[in-house]
Amino acid sequence: MSVSAPAASTLFAELPEVRPSSFAQWRALTGRIVRTMATKGELVVAVLTPLVVTVAFYLPLRYVMKVQGIDYAQYVMPIVVLQTMAMTMMSNAQLAAFEALTGLSTRLQTMPIGSLVPLMSRICAGLVRSVVSLIATVGYGYLIGFRFTGGWLQALAFCGFALAVGIVLTLGADALGSLTKNPEALSQALTLPILIFGMMSTGFVPEASFPAWVRPFARNQPISQFAHTLSDMAAGHLSWAGTWVSLVWLGGLAILFLPLAVWASVRRS
Amino acid sequence: MPSSISVDSPAGGVASRGGEPAVLVSDVRKSFGDVHALQGISFQAEKASVLGILGPNGAGKTTTVKILSTLLRPDSGTAVVAGHDVLTDSAGVRRSIMMTGQYAALDENLSGRENLELFGRLMGLAKSAARKRADTLLEEFDLVSAGKRAVRNYSGGMRRRVDIACGLVVRPEVVFLDEPTTGLDPRSRQGVWDLVTALKNQGITVLLTTQYLEEADVLSDNIIVIDKGTVIAEGTADQLKARTGGSFCEIVPLDVSRIPATVQALGDLVPAAVAAEIDGADKLSIPAPEGAATLAEALRRLDNAGIDLADIALRRPSLDDVFLSITGHSGGH
Amino acid sequence: MTTMDTTERIQPPESVAATAAELPVVHAKPEGSVSVWFTHSLIQCKRLLMVWLRDPSTTIQTIAYPAVTLLMFRIVLGDSITAATGIPSIYGQAALLTLVAAMTGAVVSALGFKREKAAGLLSRFYTMPLNKASLLTGRLLAEALRILITTIIVLLVAVPLGFLFMEDPLTNIALIFVPVLFGLGFAVMVTALATITEGVMLISLIGILNTLLMFFNTGFVPVFAYPTWLQDVVANQPMSCAIDAMKGLSYGGPVAEPLLKTVAWTVGMIAVFAYPAIVGYKKAAETS
Repeated sequence: MSVSAPAASTLFAELPEVRPSSFAQWRALTGRIVRTMATKGELVVAVLTPLVVTVAFYLPLRYVMKVQGIDYAQYVMPIVVLQTMAMTMMSNAQLAAFEALTGLSTRLQTMPIGSLVPLMSRICAGLVRSVVSLIATVGYGYLIGFRFTGGWLQALAFCGFALAVGIVLTLGADALGSLTKNPEALSQALTLPILIFGMMSTGFVPEASFPAWVRPFARNQPISQFAHTLSDMAAGHLSWAGTWVSLVWLGGLAILFLPLAVWASVRRS
Repeated sequence: MPSSISVDSPAGGVASRGGEPAVLVSDVRKSFGDVHALQGISFQAEKASVLGILGPNGAGKTTTVKILSTLLRPDSGTAVVAGHDVLTDSAGVRRSIMMTGQYAALDENLSGRENLELFGRLMGLAKSAARKRADTLLEEFDLVSAGKRAVRNYSGGMRRRVDIACGLVVRPEVVFLDEPTTGLDPRSRQGVWDLVTALKNQGITVLLTTQYLEEADVLSDNIIVIDKGTVIAEGTADQLKARTGGSFCEIVPLDVSRIPATVQALGDLVPAAVAAEIDGADKLSIPAPEGAATLAEALRRLDNAGIDLADIALRRPSLDDVFLSITGHSGGH
Repeated sequence: MTTMDTTERIQPPESVAATAAELPVVHAKPEGSVSVWFTHSLIQCKRLLMVWLRDPSTTIQTIAYPAVTLLMFRIVLGDSITAATGIPSIYGQAALLTLVAAMTGAVVSALGFKREKAAGLLSRFYTMPLNKASLLTGRLLAEALRILITTIIVLLVAVPLGFLFMEDPLTNIALIFVPVLFGLGFAVMVTALATITEGVMLISLIGILNTLLMFFNTGFVPVFAYPTWLQDVVANQPMSCAIDAMKGLSYGGPVAEPLLKTVAWTVGMIAVFAYPAIVGYKKAAETS
């Protein structure tokens, strides 16, 4: 294979007019992530992981919960949905870390690209993945007996809220990824919090199962509140009194994570 | 600390060419906490010229390039690239430059072709135009057969080519090449050199960071030497080499006792200072102002005198020699 | 030229400066001999233990993670399961988490192996007069020791949560060696898979499998809590056998049968995966 340099005269011949636009750039960046997800199997993982989580949570505990008089399929699905959103968060964090590590993020900063575009494209690609996962998760829920009994509007609210939680978590994880530049350490660091917030939650088992001293934490931590809200939406019991705590948590986390993610993505050392 | 020393006239030919320099750096300072990476660095690069930036590790080369490509903001001083100030018009700078680093930054998951297309679209080409441009560049850089493979499977030379090609999807005005041939085999290296010359002929300004004097020598119109955050020497390659004493010819006679006879045979090739110090030496070093021609002449004279040689070689000053000569310490601390 | 007399010190040639060190000559035994295999295994074992001890992420993954998970299982599910089954759940959960610690450690070790391969260390070892089998056996020995340590730590964490050791010291020794037994079989399998395949894909797949198995064994909830069609699978998977044996050795109950099943699983896994592991090691050294 010869390694000749391009002929000087033809290097930039016939180059059409150049018009950088943030929208086109966002489309290009988002598109490539989604295409990689679709072709390299990540979307398949996004569909299969909720199955594993559903099966792993539901089958062993169904009997134990029945003894306590709970329909576990209906009870546990919100937390399964949130766990699925957590998985998206994790993979987004790793993508951000990987691209910061390889220097692609830095390179994009030397090009005439809008400063928020790379972050937005990662979040939007994460959203695509979340939607796919969510659809799969609700599907598995239906298989084990979960039902939306509150009408179309509340079912849509369920999906919207779940995706909103996913986005907020993803923003935080993206910031962490951009800052640490270490995909491996990131997955280790995030596994434990996901486990703790996911299991020490009244969305996973009812409050009465917890020892008394843990109950305040288990009841009030954000994931529990989110699960509670999702459960209300699924059952059609949405009410302001029951939801405002969730919204406060969601809003608070968004206020914390959004500027952090923007700063981490845009900053130049 | 030696201040900026220009070997040739200070203007370095600017006045004669006229017009704005493509890159103008004026007393830039940058510190990271206690580390003073740049301590008042000043230089300029003419349009359509190649400026070589030499310096050991930690000298501030990469920091300088990062400031010029708007990755870092200078603490003080001004830097203007293609007419845009890096502080007040950084977006303008980004529209005019192309930067490649040592660690060719690409999307690892995409193929070469997809990377080129992506960069084309990011720089403002429409989708179909970007695709066409990608194919053109693949051909230009001889990557057609590998275009479909993911870049993570490319060899070092191929990665570098794709990396540079990605920066040329649209026409930049200034190109920053940060150690572009480190780790490449000689053929790939020659390919990069040809490319730099091609860019220059297109009217594009190239700033080339390197550790290899030979590379700066072959490619640059002008060279600046950076150490500890300032420019310590400036000039063409020949001027710099002349400062270090230039090439020299090393002669080792087979019989050590014949050194005096060797000196005599070489006649005027041996400067008086060297001739005075041959006591006890087992080899002789003479300056070789004409390079290989001097070597050939020396061989002729020695052959005529019938002196057998164990070794004769033409040695060029290395970067270390340049540094030792200019700074008084070795480049690689 | 100097003549080489293998029984004397090798004289450096005249022209080498007098400051050159005199290289010692070693009369080594053939690299295939048993005593060499033994010595080199110990050396490799020590090397790996030092590497693991110095790496904080290994410590976190193999100790902190199981300990915190045990705490969580006990807090979140302990009372529910105890109420539903009548047996204190801590015994099953503690046993489960010692196995999880062993399995996580095996995966961490496999990742380390991949890194060694990528760095070229493996190939270098293969060009030295090292006993080749010692690379594998040394690693297994290190794994066994690591599992022993993590098991003791997890069980000690279980004590304030209600776990009680039996009084007989022999029983307790048997108790802490059950995870070692299980872990060895698992480690051989993971090593074989890690040496054969290239990608990180496989390791993540094993990670997912681990997580799945963590929920489908007799340590998480008792067998009868699972749907009837799953009960046979759950009861006989290798983790369950080990857990049942440990339950018998700590809380009380049948020991011989689950112990025999555990041994059978271990022997089986080694029998199936030992040869591929050995071959895989060799191939990995040659191709890196």
